[in-house]
Amino acid sequence: MTTTTLSTTPEAAPAATPTGAGKDAAVIRLSAAGLIRSEWIKLRSVRSTVWSYALLVAFSLGLAAIMSASLDLRGADVSMVPAANQATFVAQASTFGVFFGQLIVAVLGVLTISGEYSTGMIRSTLAAVPNRLPALWAKAAVLFVTTFLVGLVSTVGSYLVSSAVLSGKGLHAGLFEPAVLFPVLGGALYLGLIAVFALGIGTIVRSGAGGIAVVLGIVLLVPIVLQMIPAAWATSLLPYLVSNAGINMFGLMSFSQVPIEWWVDLLVVLGWLAASLVGAAVLLKRRDA
Amino acid sequence: MIQAQSLTKRYGSKTAVDAVDFTVQPGKVTGLLGPNGAGKSTTMRMIVGLDQPSAGSVTVNGKHYREHAAPLREVGVLLDAKAVHTGRSARNHLLAMAATHGIPSTRVDEVIELTGLGSVSRKRVGGFSLGMGQRLGIAAALLGDPAVLILDEPVNGLDPEGVQWVRRLMRHLAAEGRTVLLSSHLMSEMALTADHLIMLGRGRVIADAPVADIIGGAGSNTVRVRSPQATRLATLLAQPDVTVTAGEQDTLDVTGISAVEIGEQAAEAGIVLHELTSIGASLEDAYMALTQNEVEYRTGGSAELQEAAR
Repeated sequence: MTTTTLSTTPEAAPAATPTGAGKDAAVIRLSAAGLIRSEWIKLRSVRSTVWSYALLVAFSLGLAAIMSASLDLRGADVSMVPAANQATFVAQASTFGVFFGQLIVAVLGVLTISGEYSTGMIRSTLAAVPNRLPALWAKAAVLFVTTFLVGLVSTVGSYLVSSAVLSGKGLHAGLFEPAVLFPVLGGALYLGLIAVFALGIGTIVRSGAGGIAVVLGIVLLVPIVLQMIPAAWATSLLPYLVSNAGINMFGLMSFSQVPIEWWVDLLVVLGWLAASLVGAAVLLKRRDA
Repeated sequence: MIQAQSLTKRYGSKTAVDAVDFTVQPGKVTGLLGPNGAGKSTTMRMIVGLDQPSAGSVTVNGKHYREHAAPLREVGVLLDAKAVHTGRSARNHLLAMAATHGIPSTRVDEVIELTGLGSVSRKRVGGFSLGMGQRLGIAAALLGDPAVLILDEPVNGLDPEGVQWVRRLMRHLAAEGRTVLLSSHLMSEMALTADHLIMLGRGRVIADAPVADIIGGAGSNTVRVRSPQATRLATLLAQPDVTVTAGEQDTLDVTGISAVEIGEQAAEAGIVLHELTSIGASLEDAYMALTQNEVEYRTGGSAELQEAAR
């Protein structure tokens, strides 16, 4: 069999000839870096991304301001409050927005892939990356890093807002105190992870409305339903739900009678994420696009 | 070159593509022609790995599509104009596609110019007309300067100028030695653009030959005669291997005898002729003849329609 050789001499070709890519034929091939760049272009070039991240930051800063400002000390002498408790309160005010932010980034995570299915873009994506899975990994990596960084902007920003308000009331805590730094980083990390979890669900469900319903059901509804069931098994399951583990991870609330190490919570979140991504990978590989 | 061997696609109990074998040669435009539901799109989707064949295989330049290190350099594909995120600008769509293969942004601007999208390239695709969507799809297919082009209904929605442009582009790309496969249900388009035809009907190849052979193979040329003495002429021409069909008002469609002979016989008998036209078989005739039994969704008869109208 003969392989077609392309004319790569631009000067010999008429105006209607595609030639530009031919000149750089040696470097033109699929690569991990290329896929990451492609997914980054895709993520930043649709408006839902910009809106979601803007909402995330605005919500976080706003909630931090409200929570700090509404703290009423009734003239109590805060100099008697131990430094650790002061730091905990500042940390809680700084990460309060994550509670709502997780819903925003979960929706974004679903839309990142469901938008490709609803518009037909997925066929262009998979025709360019016929092995399929590298496209999913690249999408997950870009979504995680971007969401983590925007999450960090919103938790650090929230810290700045709430520490400014609270220091006026006599409560002080530095950003680099472990009791503050850890939740600020953990909150951003959790936002990145939940976005990727939602991406996996969106890939499995392939529809925006369906994916959002499933993700918000898991993040929001299941914990409430389990809490309403007056049985020991329901209570003992609570710490292993993705949103409970995530929020426990950075110390905003606790859902367990016995304290759980942060890394156990992280493992629980990673477990949910892995289940979602593995399901997505299997189906993406197997289904016709 | 594209080679399919016993390529089969089943959806449940329905077989969309049924053990199809064909080879699409480089250097010419090959048309994939067939009625709706014949399996054209499914075949194209299997070539680029979007659909997994139920059986058989198809290779592009000797390898399965997914085994190529730079798939976009091997195959440029336009499957439908709507394989684009509507919220993204045309240029960003092309940049994202190009980035996967490390294709430079200068090439993106080149295909934008080439397809005449310059003035709308920064607008969101959601507002594009069908014709602009097709141009964007073709731009994406050309990005990697591919050796093989696969285009599903590329002239759909294009204005006459656009149709001519696509036709010239396809011919030009084939002349450069590339493999060009395009599908259409527009026979006139195929007659003008394609060198070779693969005709599909109900998932099977019913013809695979040069366009000229397929038209020639449609057989009997018809001669149309108009005469005020049509009835007398019909009797005169009546022979075992001649078929005479009476048309509207004094018109006869005659097969099995040449226009010259009809004219001579009429002159001998002193019959006046108002018209004597030799009608060559068109691709359309060939197509209708070949696909007669292959149409999946046949239009209901007029009786049925009247029934339905009540």
